[in-house]
Amino acid sequence: MANNALTLELKGEVEDLLNAYVQCIDDDNLESWPDFFTEECLYQVIPRENHEVGLPTAVMWCDSRGMLQDRITALRHANIYQVQWYRHIISNPVITTEDGDTFNVQSNYAVFKTCNDGESTVYNIGRYVDVIVRDNGVLKFKERTAIYDTHRITTLMVIPV
Amino acid sequence: MSQTPENGATLDWPAKYNEVPKEVFEREDLWPLELEKIFYGDEWHPIVHQSEIPNIGDYKAAELGEMPIFAVRGQDNQIRIFQNACTHRGTTLVTKSSGNKTEFECPYHRWLFSPEGDLVGCPNSREFTPDFDKKNFSLPTFRTEEYNGLYFITMSDTVAPLREYLGEEFYEPLGRILGGDGRLKFVGYQKVHYDCNWKAYCDNDGYHAPLLHLAFKMLNWQGGKGVQNVSENGHLSFESELKIPDDITALKDASILDFKGTETSTGSIVQMQFPLTVYSKHMDMLNIRYAFPKGPKGIEVHYAYFTHEDDDDEMIQHRIRQSSNLLGPCGLISMEDASIFSRIDKGNKTPGNAIFQKGVKSEFQLDLQVGQNDESGNLPRWEHYRKLMGFKRAES
Repeated sequence: MANNALTLELKGEVEDLLNAYVQCIDDDNLESWPDFFTEECLYQVIPRENHEVGLPTAVMWCDSRGMLQDRITALRHANIYQVQWYRHIISNPVITTEDGDTFNVQSNYAVFKTCNDGESTVYNIGRYVDVIVRDNGVLKFKERTAIYDTHRITTLMVIPV
Repeated sequence: MSQTPENGATLDWPAKYNEVPKEVFEREDLWPLELEKIFYGDEWHPIVHQSEIPNIGDYKAAELGEMPIFAVRGQDNQIRIFQNACTHRGTTLVTKSSGNKTEFECPYHRWLFSPEGDLVGCPNSREFTPDFDKKNFSLPTFRTEEYNGLYFITMSDTVAPLREYLGEEFYEPLGRILGGDGRLKFVGYQKVHYDCNWKAYCDNDGYHAPLLHLAFKMLNWQGGKGVQNVSENGHLSFESELKIPDDITALKDASILDFKGTETSTGSIVQMQFPLTVYSKHMDMLNIRYAFPKGPKGIEVHYAYFTHEDDDDEMIQHRIRQSSNLLGPCGLISMEDASIFSRIDKGNKTPGNAIFQKGVKSEFQLDLQVGQNDESGNLPRWEHYRKLMGFKRAES
C-alpha cells in the first residue's frame, strides 16, 4: 500500500491518539471517550469467530457518537455490575496513509481486568483495526473495530475496550 | 421411580415446594448424577439450526452433557448429529467450533469418515480382526427431531416425541421465534462464560427483569401484558404484548429501540426449555441461547442470532444492530443478568434454602397456574429436577 505521506511527526500524532484513547478508558474518564470519534463513526467489538467468516453480529456496535454516549449513560446510571478496572496494553501500530489525513492503522491489544475483590485476569485479547481521520485539525477515529480472539467473554462486558 | 440414586448422592429436599436447598448449586457430587438422569436421560436438547450450517460440509461442534458431538450437513443436504469421536480409538474428529469439511479424517490412524457418518477409509484394514467390516464402524448418531429448522437430540429411546415433550403452549410460540417457517439466516454468535452452576442460570426468570433492569425504567419501557405458561416437566414460556417506548429522553440515539416488525400483541416471547435452553424474540431480535454446563461450576452460553430470509436489507441491518447492542453479555438491557449469576453463586455457599415467594399460593402444593411475572413459574422445573434426581422431599 502506498505510504508516501507518513512522516515521523504524523506517526507520533497517531500514536498519541491510540495512547490517549486507552488512557482515557483505564483512568475511568469514560464521559470523554466518545470525543475520540467523529460524529459519524463506527465502533464495534466483534468476536474473531464471527468476523473471520463474515458474520456481522458484534457485542457492541455503535454507528453514531450518540450511541457511544448512550453506552456510557447506561454504564453510569442503569447497568448493575461488579466494580472493575481495565488496563490496556497496546502494541506499536502499523500505520499506512496516502495523504497524511486518513490513516489505516492496526495494533494489538490486551485488556487485563481487576474487579473490586482485587483479582486480576486476562480479560480480552485482540487487535484494533482503525480508520483515523483529521476532524477540525484533530485526529479522530472514523472507524474503530476491536476484533477479539478470546473465545468467550467472562461474565459481561460493560466498559468499552 | 427409585428414591435411591445409584451413585449414592443424596440430598434432603425441604417439605415446602417453594424452597430449594442452596447446596443443590454447590454440591459437586450431584454432577455425575445430573449427567445420567438429565443430560443423558429423557430430555430433548437443541443442537443446531439449519441456517447455522447452510452449506454442504458445514459443521458445528457442541456438547451434550460432557459428550463432544458435532452436527454436519451431508452431501445429500441432510443434517446429522454425531458423537465427536473416531469409532476406532476415540480421538475427537473436529476441534474447531465450526467449519467446513468434505471428509473427517482422524489424525491418529487416518480413519476417514464421510459427512454422512460412514467410515470410508482405514489404512491396513487387512490386518484387522478377521470379520472387520467398515459398515459396523459408522459414527454413532442420536435420536433426532427437527422443528422449523432446529435440530434436537436425545439419548432416550422412551421420551415422548418432541412436540408432545414440549407441549403445545411451548411448541407453537417456539415456532414463531423460529421465524414461523424456519427460513432463518444465521448472523453470528455472542459467547459468554458465567461463573455459576448451570441451575443458577436456569433460575433467570421473568420476575427479575423489571426489577433488576434499571435500563428498562430509564427507557420508560415496561413490559406489556402477557402470560407465563409452565409445564409439569419444567418448560416455561412467556408471551407478552410488545410495548414500544414512545418517549425516550435518556438516549441520544434512540433508533436502536425502533420496532420494524408488525406483530405486537404477542410480540415478545421468552422461553426456557428444560433443562437449560432459552429462546427469545425481543423487539426485532430472534435469539437461541445454547447453553453448555462446564461441570458442576461454570456454564458457557452461546447466543445465536438470526434474521429471516424474507427481510429486506434495512430489516437485516436493524436486527443486527439490535442484536449487537441490546441482549447478550454486553447488551444494554440484559448484561446485569450475568453479575447476578456470580453473586447468587457466591451467596449459595451459605446454609439453608433459596425461597421463592412471588405467585406462591400454597407452600405445600405445586401450582401450574402462574401469573406473568410470578417467580413461582420456576417451581415445576425444580420439582421435575427433584424427581429426576430421586431426592426425597421431607414430610410436611
